[in-house]
Amino acid sequence: MNILICIKQVPDMESKFKVNAQGNWYDRADLAWRMNEYDEYAVEQAVRLKEQVGEADLTVLCVGPDQVKETMKKALAMGCDRGVHIADNDSCMREPFAIATMIADFARDKQFDIIFTGMQSQDRGSAQVGVMIAELLNISAVTTIVEFAYDNGTISVKRELEGGSKALVTVTAPVVLTCQLGLNTPRYPTLPNIMKAKKKEMLTIAAATDEQGRQETAAFYFPQRKGGGLVLEGDPPELADKLIQLLKEKTGALA
Amino acid sequence: MNFELTEEQNLIREMVRSFAETEVAPSAASRDEEELFDRALMYDRLGELGLTGIVFPEEYGGAGADYISYAIAVEELSRVCGSTGVTLSAHLSLCANPIFMFGTEEQKQTFLKPLATGEKLGGFGLTEPSAGSDAGGTKTTATRDGDDWILNGSKIFITNGGDAETYVVLARSDKSAEKHRGISAYIVEKGTPGFSFGKKEKKMGIRSSPTMELVFENCRIPGANLLGQEGQGFKVAMKTLDGGRIGIAAQALGIAQGALDATIAYTKEREQFNQPVASFQGVHFQLADMATQIEASRLLIYNAAYRASAGLSYSHEAAMAKLYASETAMRVTTQAVQLHGGYGYTREFPVERMMRDAKITEIYEGTSEIHRLVIGTALIR
Repeated sequence: MNILICIKQVPDMESKFKVNAQGNWYDRADLAWRMNEYDEYAVEQAVRLKEQVGEADLTVLCVGPDQVKETMKKALAMGCDRGVHIADNDSCMREPFAIATMIADFARDKQFDIIFTGMQSQDRGSAQVGVMIAELLNISAVTTIVEFAYDNGTISVKRELEGGSKALVTVTAPVVLTCQLGLNTPRYPTLPNIMKAKKKEMLTIAAATDEQGRQETAAFYFPQRKGGGLVLEGDPPELADKLIQLLKEKTGALA
Repeated sequence: MNFELTEEQNLIREMVRSFAETEVAPSAASRDEEELFDRALMYDRLGELGLTGIVFPEEYGGAGADYISYAIAVEELSRVCGSTGVTLSAHLSLCANPIFMFGTEEQKQTFLKPLATGEKLGGFGLTEPSAGSDAGGTKTTATRDGDDWILNGSKIFITNGGDAETYVVLARSDKSAEKHRGISAYIVEKGTPGFSFGKKEKKMGIRSSPTMELVFENCRIPGANLLGQEGQGFKVAMKTLDGGRIGIAAQALGIAQGALDATIAYTKEREQFNQPVASFQGVHFQLADMATQIEASRLLIYNAAYRASAGLSYSHEAAMAKLYASETAMRVTTQAVQLHGGYGYTREFPVERMMRDAKITEIYEGTSEIHRLVIGTALIR
C-alpha cells in the first residue's frame, strides 16, 4: 500500500499575531510553529492503517520554506517512512490551487492508494487543497471524515454533516481523504522516535512556481472591537421574559 | 557559538509540553493534596514516551539524546508538576546515571537497561541522619563476607523511596580509611532480604513524590553489585550529584516558568481600580524581573548541559546553574503568590503549590550554601 500524507506547518494558535508590512497576511516573525491540527489526524490515521495492514509505505509531504522540515520530522517520528519537502519560501501567500497543483504534479506518477490530508489548515482555512488534489489527479475525494475503516480493499468512512448527522461512505482506492477533528487522538512522537526521525529519508524538491494566480488575499486585519454585551437587570421572571423577547427580535434562536 | 535549539530539541519540548499539559497537569493539585504518587502517570507513561532513559545510548535502552533534551523534559514536566519532574530527575541522574558512568558491562545490561526503558524505577541513597551536606560522614556500613557484602544502617529523605526497584547506595566499606576514601557504592534491589523501608516523610512541597527512609539490617548483597571500585564511593557520589544538579536546576526552572505563566494569565484577567492588574507599571517591572531571571537560569542550565554532553568538565557550571535556578524559583514563586494577592495564598490557584515545591530545590542535591562553598573554593584555589 502506498500512502501520501499532506501536511502544513502553521503557527501555534496561541501566538500573538501581527499584521505583516504588506497588510495582506500575518507577520511570520517570532512565531512558534506546529503541525496543522487536522493534518495530525491525517498522519495518525495513516500510521494506524500501516499498523493494521503491515505492508505500507508512508510518504509525508509538505510545501514551504526550510523550517517546515521540523514539522515533517514530527510526522516521521509519529511513524511516516519518508519525507518529501517541496521547497517554497512564498507558499504562505499562494492560493490553494497553486499548492494543490504542486502536490498533484508530485503525486501523479507515484500510484498512491490513499492521500490523507487535514480537512483544512488552521491559518488560511480554505479547505480546498485536498479536494483540488483529487480533481487534478482525477480520483475520488471524501471530505471531513470522522471515522475510517479499511477491510480487504474497501475503505469505509463516516463524514460529518451539518447539524450533527453523519454519512457512511464506501470508496475504493485511489482516493483523497480529508480528516476532521474526532477521527482519532494523535499519538505523541516518543523521544527515541524523534531521535530516529533524522535518519529517515528526506527529499527536497524545488517548487514549480510559475503558476498564474487566480486569487489573492487583498487585506488581512483584525475585526473591529464590538461594544460590550447587553446587561439585563431586574427580577428573574421579568428578566426571563425580556430575554425571550430579545432572542426573538434579534436572533433566530427561537424562530 | 549557537544558542538555537535543534529540531529534535524543539520537538522534544513540544511533545513533553503537550503530554504534561494534557495528562500531568489536571491531577497535579489533587495528587499534591492527597500526597499520591501515581506511578502509572508519573513514571510508566514517561517510560512509554522514552523519557526514562533520555541520555543513554540505545544499546542500554536509552534514546541517545543529549543533556539539553533531558533538561527540557524535566523543565516541561516541572512547569506543571514539580513532583513529576523530580521523579524523573532522581531516577535518571541519581540512579541510572552512576550505573552508566561506573558500572561494568554486565551491570549496565542487568540494571541500567530496565531503568532506561522505564520497566524499573531508580533511587539513590546517600543522605543519612548525620550525613547530609557532609557526605563523607556516612555511617551505614558495608562488611565483606566471602564474595558478598553485608549492609547495615539507614538512609533518609530518599526520593522515589519505597516505589523504586533499584537503588544506588553509599556505605562505609573501610572503617580504618580516611573519611572520604573508605566509602563504596552498591546497587541494591528492592526485595533483598534485610532491606526495608522506614517512615514516609510528610513534606511541605513536592508532596506527590514519595520520600522514604531506607533501612538495612544485615542486608546481604552479591559482590557483583559493587558499583565502581571499592573505596571509590565518594567519587561516585560527587560525579552523580554533578549530573543531578542539572536535573534539579531544570526542575527549579520549570517551577519558576509555570509560576510566571500562571501569573501573566492571572494579572491580565484580574481587574482592580477598573483595569487589569497587568496594566500597572509596578506589575510590569515585577514580571520583567521574573522573566529575566528565568531566562538567565535557562541559559546557565543549557550551558552546563551542553558541556555535559560534549564531554567537557561541568561541575562548576552545574553548581552555578543549580544555585541560581533554585533561588530564582523561590523568588519567582513568592512574587507569583504576591501578584495573585489573597487568591495566590489559596489552593484554588497553582502558585501556592509551586511556592511550596520551589523551596526544596534550594535544599536537596546540595544546599545553596554548599554550592556557594563549592563555587567559591574553586575561584580562590
